[in-house]
Amino acid sequence: MYKWRKLGLLLEPSTLAGKPEWFNEFAQAPNSILFDKFVRVYFCCRPQADAAGQYVSYCTYVDLNRNNLFEILSMAPKPVLALGELGSFDEFGTYPVSTIRDGADILACYGGWTRCESVPFNVSLGMARSTDGGNSFVKLGPGPVLSHSLDEPFVVTSPKIRKYGNTWFLAYTAGRKWMIADGRPEVVYKLRMAHSTDGINWTRLDRDIIPDRLGKDEAQACPDIFFWNGKYHMFFCYRQATDFRFSRERTYRIGYACSSDMLDWVRDDSKAGIEVSDEGWDSEMVAYPHVFELDGAIYMLYLGNQVGRYGFGLAKLEGTLD
Amino acid sequence: MKWQKLGLIFDPSQHDLGPDIVGYAQGPQALVFDDFVRIYFSARRQSANGKYVSSIRFIDFDKDFRRVVGVCDRPVIADGKLGTFDEHGIFPMNVLRVGDRIHAYTCGWSRRVSVSIDMAIGLAISDDHGRTFVRAGDGPVLSASLHEPFLIGDPCVRVHMGVYHMWYIFGTRWQAGGRDNEPERTYKIGHAVSADGRKWAREQALQIIPDRIGADESQALPTVIAIGGRHHMFFCYRESLDFRRNPARAYRIGHAWSDDLRHWTRDDQPALEGTAGGWDAEMQCYPNAFEHDGKIYLLYNGNEFGKHGFGLARLELDESDR
Repeated sequence: MYKWRKLGLLLEPSTLAGKPEWFNEFAQAPNSILFDKFVRVYFCCRPQADAAGQYVSYCTYVDLNRNNLFEILSMAPKPVLALGELGSFDEFGTYPVSTIRDGADILACYGGWTRCESVPFNVSLGMARSTDGGNSFVKLGPGPVLSHSLDEPFVVTSPKIRKYGNTWFLAYTAGRKWMIADGRPEVVYKLRMAHSTDGINWTRLDRDIIPDRLGKDEAQACPDIFFWNGKYHMFFCYRQATDFRFSRERTYRIGYACSSDMLDWVRDDSKAGIEVSDEGWDSEMVAYPHVFELDGAIYMLYLGNQVGRYGFGLAKLEGTLD
Repeated sequence: MKWQKLGLIFDPSQHDLGPDIVGYAQGPQALVFDDFVRIYFSARRQSANGKYVSSIRFIDFDKDFRRVVGVCDRPVIADGKLGTFDEHGIFPMNVLRVGDRIHAYTCGWSRRVSVSIDMAIGLAISDDHGRTFVRAGDGPVLSASLHEPFLIGDPCVRVHMGVYHMWYIFGTRWQAGGRDNEPERTYKIGHAVSADGRKWAREQALQIIPDRIGADESQALPTVIAIGGRHHMFFCYRESLDFRRNPARAYRIGHAWSDDLRHWTRDDQPALEGTAGGWDAEMQCYPNAFEHDGKIYLLYNGNEFGKHGFGLARLELDESDR
């Protein structure tokens, strides 16, 4: 089993000074890009809910001191991505986001949210490119790069974009079914994969990449892949399909799988090595992991209770990933 | 060539289409059998909130369209599941024979919140000569993409020289200006090809038929047929605003021809005029061209988008057309 030492809540929206109105609460889906002097963490935040209690979400970033990740050097002055036009797939939100360097540019893949009548939302994946060092992004087009397909009928979301050799990989989540629980539609989704030669046109693998552990209605998200010691390590999160929002026993935990080829994955959650705390901001759930290496150490950013409502925290790996 | 109008051939109020059906017979699509002609169409039922759901039915005509020899009074395809692209109905459904089976390309509708609907194209297959169809998957085969951001629908699929061709429409814009300032849509005709009828390649947002009434022209329901070695496309077109009750801005039948299935010349000839005071006086829409006993026919809807049923016209060819 790997051993992650928790270093605490790194970004806490409620105590952040000088927050803009579009960043009221939530700091979700953190992903890092390393710069010489700082670590930029992209994440998603929300303004206050509207009169009907509905949220939109924006992509933004904080720059952390490379020598002390708990020191915030600066924050994005405005969202790095605009919401979509009337009727577009990303009209009501951009969440989650995943970023990667592409030469001098930075590419972002994000979940675009639309609102539906019978179910609350649908999601497709959009992409955007930054040519100004990651301060702002321009969408590659008004529509999604990965939408819905025969075998992935709705809620294509939770992207993690990677490039190994000359091949681009997109690990993500695809909806399997909507089920009604306590009168409310809840979505079950599974981890999926696509690959590409250009990072824009994607070919789907069209199968689940890991087996279920909690039965067929297990929901899986955030397949964060990290190459280390000659192997692909994937940390992700999973939960029960229903009654997961406030139930400590049914909500998100962090799982683990590894692969030698990005195709066949062996799931072994007992190795993940990070659990909920007895009390505090991550006492109910641990979710949406992101693993990165910085100056010889391996870190994990992750979300706690209510999927990042109170911010994201940092843990440091003791030992290595093998 | 010119149209010989044969009049209204099906009035849904004169037939029992099932207990839930409140009327309409939209998007007629023919499938020719040895001793009868089956015509699929979309009838409507109402949801609890009063909105319509399109449901596919068919009627069988004898070979000279004088006598109805069969009526289907139940859905030929099950309702879409919660949250899927075709949950709120199928309109229209294009059929073609593939070996002993019949493939149906469906235009699935699902309701949105900021705009009324979105559409995507699905595939369903019949093993019982077209009496019932089963979806190839819960999701669509063609949906929104990078430069075709919404409203992918109205498929017409034909196999030519071993290649599947699909003509369809893609949305380009939602704009306010409908009744109560509701958003109204604009769409154009596009083209995709496939080796297997499931995985489609398209030239993103390539409008293959030029506008005749300006950028606000909405083009819908292409139908393509070969006549004397030349490919002919019929479709319908209208203004994007004030088209429902204003006959001057309502649907008309357009026409274009091609010798290579790439380049189309629009001429809107032969004209299909409405008959003053008749069922098709105010609009003519949703054409479907088919060959039967050596003649070319066109099914189409009239006033109020097919509320009153559909009619038929027969093409009278000149020597130069053969």
